[in-house]
Amino acid sequence: MSKQIVRLSVNGSNHELLLEPQMTLLQALRDELGLTGTKYGCGVCECGACTVLVDGKPVLACSILAISVRDKDILTIEGLAGNGNLHPIQQAFIDYGAIQCGFCTPGMILSSKALLDENPRPSRQEVKEWLAGNLCRCTGYVKIIEAVMAASETMVKGGSHGK
Amino acid sequence: MASELAVVGKRLTRPDVAAKATGSALYTTDMTLPGMLTAAVLRSPHAHARIVKIDTSRAAKLPGVMAVLTTRDVPDKLFNMGTSELLIIKKEHLIADQHVLNNPVRYAGEAVAAVAAVDEATAQAALELIEVEYEVLPAVFDPLEAIKPGAPRVHDFAGNNIAQHLSHPYVSGDVEKGFRESDAVIEGTFTTSKQKTAPLEPASCVASFDANGRVTVWSPAQRPFLARRRLGEAFDIPEGKIRWITPLIGGGFGNGASLRAEPICVALAQKTRRPVKLEYSREEQFVATETRTRFVQMVKLGVKKDGTMIALQTRVIADAGAYFSATGSITGVNMAYLLGLYRVPNTAGQADIVYTNTTPSGAVRGYGNPEGMFALEQVVDMAAEKIGMDPMELRLKNHRTTGEPSRSPSITIESCRLAECMQLGAEKIGWKEKRATRNKAGIKRRGLGMAVTTHNAGSFPRMLDYTNATIKLNEDGSANLTAGCCELGQGITGVVSQIAAEALGMHAQDIVVYAGDTDVNEFDAGCVGSRATYNIGNAVVRAASEAKQKLLERAAKMLEAEPGELEAREGRVFFKVAPDKGITIAEVAKDAIYNFKGDAGQISGHCSWEAKWNTPAFEAVFAEVEVDTETGEVRVIKVAQAHDIGRAINPLTVEGQLEGSIMQGMGWALTEDFAVNSKGILESDNFTSYKIPSSMDIPETEVLLVEYPIESGPFGAKSVGECGVNAIAPAIANAISDATGIRLFELPMNPERVLHALHRKEAGGLSY
Ligand code: FES
Ligand code: FES
Repeated sequence: MSKQIVRLSVNGSNHELLLEPQMTLLQALRDELGLTGTKYGCGVCECGACTVLVDGKPVLACSILAISVRDKDILTIEGLAGNGNLHPIQQAFIDYGAIQCGFCTPGMILSSKALLDENPRPSRQEVKEWLAGNLCRCTGYVKIIEAVMAASETMVKGGSHGK
Repeated sequence: MASELAVVGKRLTRPDVAAKATGSALYTTDMTLPGMLTAAVLRSPHAHARIVKIDTSRAAKLPGVMAVLTTRDVPDKLFNMGTSELLIIKKEHLIADQHVLNNPVRYAGEAVAAVAAVDEATAQAALELIEVEYEVLPAVFDPLEAIKPGAPRVHDFAGNNIAQHLSHPYVSGDVEKGFRESDAVIEGTFTTSKQKTAPLEPASCVASFDANGRVTVWSPAQRPFLARRRLGEAFDIPEGKIRWITPLIGGGFGNGASLRAEPICVALAQKTRRPVKLEYSREEQFVATETRTRFVQMVKLGVKKDGTMIALQTRVIADAGAYFSATGSITGVNMAYLLGLYRVPNTAGQADIVYTNTTPSGAVRGYGNPEGMFALEQVVDMAAEKIGMDPMELRLKNHRTTGEPSRSPSITIESCRLAECMQLGAEKIGWKEKRATRNKAGIKRRGLGMAVTTHNAGSFPRMLDYTNATIKLNEDGSANLTAGCCELGQGITGVVSQIAAEALGMHAQDIVVYAGDTDVNEFDAGCVGSRATYNIGNAVVRAASEAKQKLLERAAKMLEAEPGELEAREGRVFFKVAPDKGITIAEVAKDAIYNFKGDAGQISGHCSWEAKWNTPAFEAVFAEVEVDTETGEVRVIKVAQAHDIGRAINPLTVEGQLEGSIMQGMGWALTEDFAVNSKGILESDNFTSYKIPSSMDIPETEVLLVEYPIESGPFGAKSVGECGVNAIAPAIANAISDATGIRLFELPMNPERVLHALHRKEAGGLSY
């Protein structure tokens, strides 16, 4: 198939890319735009490491075509900190020891952002359920859940929402 | 040592996490080099097959394909992918039994050929054009089948597929006599599963040769120096011609202790003379990287009526899979812990290491110890039941403790706080109360179980345990530390910066750590075997103390004082008697460089540290479970884990290690199943069929740190990396038994196995 010109809006910047139509969003982000914060963990919707936000909703970049999100607002982990200020979720992940190897972290943080944007005061149970698609092999999730609960607290109290 | 610690023991933020939270952290697969090619691997659809013919001409002609690699293109030299065996004192533990590409192939999923091309799509398309004619050979997948006469032979040299026989070196007494004198003898055979480490980052490698024939290898290897040596052996390249760089690792758990994607990647880079990147897919990570060793362990324990253990014997069949890798030393470690946790006068241990046509086994967190504990700690519970003793009492009575020999008898246990761990854990889980009142009727039954364990800090005295650290102070009062600490996620870079900061009187955030580059770092044996905090930390303390001495000497000159009158803390040097009077470390460090008086001498310190001791950590795990007797499902309600840590350099990261190991242990216990079909094809090569725990599976957890600083560790620290995973599965097994009366002898303890055992019990069969 011949390549197509695709306009992607990522982290507030517009890019015009010449892409194979079957290229996934994950490949476009990593290989074409050099945004390597989004990770490959499985390629088949099972681990959540590739989670990005498209129009604010979590999407698995490994399993969606880049052309299908043309002209939508894509947020990757690189775009979450605004003007050098960490988003409260990033800060909480750092403060609460929720990051070990860090391979799941970008997906975890963006999934958590989608949750807190939709449900600013989730219960622990709701956090657990929401993050069930984001696997982590290092932390045992305990500190990740603590971090999300703490971030919720900060954000509700009016801490910066980042972007 | 300052009376009160300023940096060690604090829950500080690690230096690596800000980059990880913002997406700027760089892992191997994030690297791109100019002109870099992408590699892909063709894998065998057969578990055992001779490659009769391989035609790569069509693939080679595909535009964009730069090289096709087959068995003809790789060094005609056998090697071993594991790095642990390299160090072992007894050379016979090492078997070199594979090439970079092998013919015949010995497991389904083994590499047959590989391609380097301009991009991923071209590389994948080229694989489809390679034509292979296989002669399918008979295969064997079960180690007990493999040792039967007439079983298909995996390697020509290994009769009955037995690669090696091991006798445990530290046996004592007369085990037969011990059993005769026992009041109760308990015996069981326990089979463990081929757990995958399943780091979120699959194996990967980037390799690039320069114009002088020197190769740089980037990969998530946990032991860069030993990986370099092993790779050099395989390719006949001297160490100095290889620069190995380990970037951030996306989860190790032992998987990075063996070579994985590197040999094929290097072979392709050598052939094309261009940089090559090889990224394993998740399926490849499942099928083609090493697994936990499947152990079939017969364990027999003899006890007196009063609970004194007097005889313990194990016979082990260890399934190496298709290649030997580290299975020899893993099996040795397995027997050492199995026979070395308790004080038993009469012991014996024998093991056969057996080949099968399955994915090779290798280093996985715990390295034979969790497998041993799954057997031993159930047998101990069975003995307690038989003699009518509380299982905790039986353990308290028999476990080895301070002043007694450790699992390596030449090492006396410096400090053991296992009794306190047990008491604390028992309290948190409600051992006495709940065991008295638990509901043993009805469909959903609750039970409590426990298990204990110990784990060394590094591999001294069985293997070389050597490391180096160097620290230098910059003129602004910051420091650079080179130490052998690859960051797998465990937080070791933070740990060494806290240790160095404490020893030097600095702030941890002023210390920048370099690790994992064989051109920059001095030798280190790697982040394996729970050795890093203890051994690398010991080197760092001494390097930093040497630098501190120089710091105080120079400060003394500047302040017209004696070094002994001064102390350094939190970035300042000051008079002990008048802490307000002093000078900043930055001022001293600056004077050492921009001196202009003929007295320059940058402040630095170095330590070359070969382990001299090994003080094990201890741990008690308590689990409460609920067993659904209709579905066979086991739900873990609560885990209390008390760990004898010596001192936690950073309690936040220690807790994180333990919380993570609880979940990894739970996955191994209950859901993770490396299932091959009747043809030896792996069926669980994805996260749906191979189920690692998710956030929905977390029990209530209590991680308890028992802190009694030890003499031999840096600021009193013991180890934590592996110990936490050892006792989870047996604690759960014992809880299941407590709830239902059934005994489970095989992992994973999935609903089918639970139901099967329940039915057998109902049918009046022996519960065990
Ligand atoms: S890489 Fe997309 S879900 Fe795993
Ligand atoms: S921190 Fe390693 S996978 Fe989550």
